[in-house]
Amino acid sequence: MAEDSDQFNGRMGLIFASIGAAIGTGNIWRFPRMVGANGGGTFLVPWLVFLFIWSIPLVIAEYAMGKRSRTGTIGTFRIFAGKKFAWMGLWTAWISTAIGFYYAVVSGWTIKYFQLGITGALNGENVDTTEVWNAFLQNPGQVIFFQFLVIALTLAAIWKGAKAIEKVNFYLMISLFALLFLTLFLSLWMDFSDGSLDGALFMFTIDFDMLFEPEVWINGLSQSAWSCSAGMGMCITYAVYMSKDEDTVLNAFTMGLANNSISIIAGLAVLSAIFAVNPDPLGTVTEGSSAITFLALPEVFAQAPFAPVGPLFMMAGFFLALSFAAMTSMISTVELCVRNFVDHGFEREKSVALTGVALFLFGLPSAVMWIKLDDSGVAFPQFLEVQDHIWGYGLMFSGLFIAFSIWKYGYMRWKSGVEAGVAPPGFKGYLGFGVSAFRDDFINTGDNDIIVGRWWDLLMYLAFPILFSVLMFSYFADMIANTDNVWSPTNPNGLGIILLFWGVIAALFISFNKFLIRRPLYRNIPKGADVDISSLPGGDDELVVALGEVAPGFEHLSKEYSIEAELV
Amino acid sequence: MIQNGKVLRTRPSFGVLIVLPLLLSLFAPIANADFAQEEPTGTEPGDIWSDDYNNMIFPWASENERILQFKEYHTYDTMKTRMLRLAEDNPDIFQFHEGMNGGTNARGEEVTANAYEGWFYGHASPWLKITGDVQDGEYNPFVGDTGNYADRRDVMIVGNHHAREWMSYTVAIMQMEVIAFSYNNIGYDNDGDGLIDEDPWGDADGDGILDDDGDCLRLATSPTNYQDSNGDGTNCGPGDLGVDEDYSEQFITDLVNSREIYLIPMLNVDGNIYDRDVYMPGQCPNEEAWDCSAAGWRKNLRDNTVTGVTPIPDLDESVDEGCDGVDLNRNYQFEWGAPLGATGPLVPGACYAGQNNDVYNGPVDDTDNDGDGQINEDHVDGKDDDADGVTDEDWWGGNSEPETKFIQDLTEMNDDTGDGSSEFKATITHHSFSELILYPWGHCTDCQSPDHEQLKYHGQQLADMTQYANLQSSDLYPTSGDFCDWHYGVHGSYCYTSEIGTAFHQHEDDIDHIAVRNIGTGFYIAEIADSPRERADLAIANISQQNYLKAGDKVEIPAEGDIPVDLCVSAQFPYSESQSKIEWRTVKPSRLQSDYGPREWATTPWQSVDVNMVEGESCSLPDGNGTVLRGMIPISETAIGKLHYKATLSTLSGSDLFQYPAEGAYYELDLSYRAAYGSFIGSLFMFGLTATFVWGGLAVCLRMMLSDEEEIDLAAPESIEIEPSEAVLIAENA
Repeated sequence: MAEDSDQFNGRMGLIFASIGAAIGTGNIWRFPRMVGANGGGTFLVPWLVFLFIWSIPLVIAEYAMGKRSRTGTIGTFRIFAGKKFAWMGLWTAWISTAIGFYYAVVSGWTIKYFQLGITGALNGENVDTTEVWNAFLQNPGQVIFFQFLVIALTLAAIWKGAKAIEKVNFYLMISLFALLFLTLFLSLWMDFSDGSLDGALFMFTIDFDMLFEPEVWINGLSQSAWSCSAGMGMCITYAVYMSKDEDTVLNAFTMGLANNSISIIAGLAVLSAIFAVNPDPLGTVTEGSSAITFLALPEVFAQAPFAPVGPLFMMAGFFLALSFAAMTSMISTVELCVRNFVDHGFEREKSVALTGVALFLFGLPSAVMWIKLDDSGVAFPQFLEVQDHIWGYGLMFSGLFIAFSIWKYGYMRWKSGVEAGVAPPGFKGYLGFGVSAFRDDFINTGDNDIIVGRWWDLLMYLAFPILFSVLMFSYFADMIANTDNVWSPTNPNGLGIILLFWGVIAALFISFNKFLIRRPLYRNIPKGADVDISSLPGGDDELVVALGEVAPGFEHLSKEYSIEAELV
Repeated sequence: MIQNGKVLRTRPSFGVLIVLPLLLSLFAPIANADFAQEEPTGTEPGDIWSDDYNNMIFPWASENERILQFKEYHTYDTMKTRMLRLAEDNPDIFQFHEGMNGGTNARGEEVTANAYEGWFYGHASPWLKITGDVQDGEYNPFVGDTGNYADRRDVMIVGNHHAREWMSYTVAIMQMEVIAFSYNNIGYDNDGDGLIDEDPWGDADGDGILDDDGDCLRLATSPTNYQDSNGDGTNCGPGDLGVDEDYSEQFITDLVNSREIYLIPMLNVDGNIYDRDVYMPGQCPNEEAWDCSAAGWRKNLRDNTVTGVTPIPDLDESVDEGCDGVDLNRNYQFEWGAPLGATGPLVPGACYAGQNNDVYNGPVDDTDNDGDGQINEDHVDGKDDDADGVTDEDWWGGNSEPETKFIQDLTEMNDDTGDGSSEFKATITHHSFSELILYPWGHCTDCQSPDHEQLKYHGQQLADMTQYANLQSSDLYPTSGDFCDWHYGVHGSYCYTSEIGTAFHQHEDDIDHIAVRNIGTGFYIAEIADSPRERADLAIANISQQNYLKAGDKVEIPAEGDIPVDLCVSAQFPYSESQSKIEWRTVKPSRLQSDYGPREWATTPWQSVDVNMVEGESCSLPDGNGTVLRGMIPISETAIGKLHYKATLSTLSGSDLFQYPAEGAYYELDLSYRAAYGSFIGSLFMFGLTATFVWGGLAVCLRMMLSDEEEIDLAAPESIEIEPSEAVLIAENA
């Protein structure tokens, strides 16, 4: 009767899958731009600081929650924040999936450019990269073909569940490392052959005047928050497949540091190459990310040493690495969505197929609609940009919801502790008992080598809300200050459209919450794992059962009954 | 095994609902961001401009609001409603008033608010005080307005002295709309061609062609003559599509922030209501006013019949069209009643019973204004007629009407600087019709005012932008007691009368393009209001036109430090170093840059730097060498993006808005990274630090992990065969 739970084979599987989720195009095409626009090495300071005070603590929380709840995002919030808040998980899943719609298109671009690179179409004296780009983007058939290809590959990779995911991620990540190192080697060669390693120098030199500019810090925070996928539900999802005694803290550190390692390698490779041959390197790297990647870099790579092999290797290698980075993120996006369906009793294959079809259909507008030319005659997909504009910052709220669950748990534990006479009353008691409750109960479970100290509480309770507010406020203030007609919901670059969509989605999900919690939730529990949830807000939920058990009131979901239902 | 998939069939709602929000993605709004690529080409208006512009649909109201779209005339009521609405929507710059509070006026008379209310309908003239931060500044208890600043010159724009001259208040109302719409709406593309501020009022580039950007001139002339869209017979003249169509909102904003504009669209409310509601329907009961052969009602509604020369308002009595009313533009006191030509009454103050004297100038004033026992011994003409050491103290008449009293007291009670003279240095009054610009004098023929050349110069500028004729007022016909003679003669204000259009009740179809044709004049008057005489002198001598700011391609960016920008000023130009400045801002790559969209920029607010005369350097000008005024713009060496800069020059006597390169425009300079890309030692240190933290940290983590358990070789093919439960076992055993 019981169905086996689905696990990763080992620790490295989880690590590689998580790193794959964290490393995306953001590391390779956004990071160099941020370094360029924020004073080179200056930017590395806040970027590193925020890795430790924002990204890693959140990832620790995500792993801890997922490992205990053993469900995807909806189930995790149902268990950790309580029945009323299952919609938070739905929000998290939706934002990730909505981004997936257009991310598949973007991933398609990278594969297309790998194809162009390997066939040598981007090499040669007379290649106008703008023309190549415009021709591609304005050809709906091509864009859709590569979007489809990405989705097909992604579905194939996750069809069979955790085992396949870890295997695919493992190979892709190893190849990505290798390819990036190849590119880095050639880039440094190029940069050095013009006499100085100015790209590398720039990337590691701190400008002390800029170091005190708030904008650099805000940019560092946003880069750290996005590129690591912290607080976006990916790690909750992958933690579902953790073996029972895995160390969440060490995993979080490994994932965060690996993510930043890749960023540094990619940043160094891109900047060195651009500085080597571009007369106005900083003007170039501060252009939009897609402009750097698809317009500037092919031009630069074409001038790689050891022609014709060097440029070919560099071009193909870089874009292959980029597409691998995109693919692994795509995998985690789809898995996040699929996991939620599976948790609610859907067959995995059907969930995967459903998600795949949705990704393709809802990604189509982003692929082909509103392909415009900007001031300098470069094509860009405006519908896709608007989607990114609307959903990009919605990710922040997923992080906030995680923090909310932690805060709620702390307060709840302290209150019930006071009632039971085991916790000291008063604010001091709350600080001592309540604030550390989540950490004591779910992080320092005894499985971890690194014991997390009081610093984590400080970061979750103090640093997180401050940084969250700074990030949201500065983003909105910037937008209000720099956008005409910013409140009008018809302005695709405005704030009105964001608030409208968020509002509609949030309202829809909140009202949908009662349907969500009427359904049984099946937890993916490995044998012998300590997954007691009785102290959690969702712990008394009768409908939350382990996979293979029967939820009360849902005994009819037996095989016989199902067939009957089919016959009727 | 439970076939969980069956749930899909038994309860499809779940799956449907969870996918529902996906549908929302398809309802993203229509993109409204147009990206300019190049100058539009084509020979039809539709190829170049937006549909709204081609149909003269103005951006401040929806298409079906015919009055706000200048497709129908405003009435007193709709105008007042609109003024109130705009004042409510733009509280920073607009303040609505009707008449004034009153108090003790400049002549020592006690005046109450009702002294400014029309005789018949009882409305005081509605007006707007327009200036930046109008809610701050000094409060003027007599006038009742705030927003009085000692360093801002006052400008008066008056429409509708004469009731039937409907375009005269319409143009003033359009100026109000343009200000409300344009203030701080910098860079609005008025005509929808993708370019901004490309064609200001008048002939900006001095080539003798009004259509500075040449878009009208590119239109086809056959089979349809698109170049004469208003059908006035002039191709690409003012009021035609594409002519002076995209003015600088920055210029309007600067003007509003540095002037106090008193906009009185409809001075003669009594007469206007009467003309529209009573007089014209009486003349032509079933016709529109413009189809009627009657000229219309001109004067206000003073009741001349009952009480003769010193009337008391008699609201019950209907208007005697044969006798009642005073021509407000003959009722001002300067040289009042001087019997000149056919337009003056033979007996001043008399009414010709039974016939409508359209230019009756109001009753004679037989009071002893100065209390010296004599009457009318010193006429208002700026001279001490009776040689008693006091000027203009006992007048013969004039200023007898609520409307003229309002203008007089508003003018005389505005002395922000406290120097005893009115702040109004430039004024314009709109009339219709004849397509003329008139300047003082009006009361004498074959005479010239002391400022004749200067008045004529500015008049010519107004005439150039409207393509009207520029005349001395008395060359049309002599008048006495008119607004401009009084404003200029008594207060030294450069005053112009614009005679708009070709009819008193201009045809409804012509409202919009005639208003557009005349909209620039009010702004020009506001611009020169700081010191019109000096401006004219400098311009006539071709001095102010020679000054220039170094253009972007001429500025040399030093390897380090601030960027010097030079302003070359003619040696004849009386510049004030302390009052002049160079304004700058930068355009940086935006922090909001999207990953997938076009490059985005963030523009900083304008800041200013002082200019300093550079000793020993000169710059070349057409009339010789000029003085170099240099501003040092503090731009960081690491900055990239663009620098925008412009200069504002002031003269020693206070002309304050000489803007270079042009009104509201600026130069652009590309900024490139000037600092060193990095230092070897510094970068080595930072690299070490980063490597230690990131790669070192990663190594430590991996070590801990590997020592914790044996890594399972994922690459080994047999691992696929491991059953889940076995895998867990392996992990447990490790």
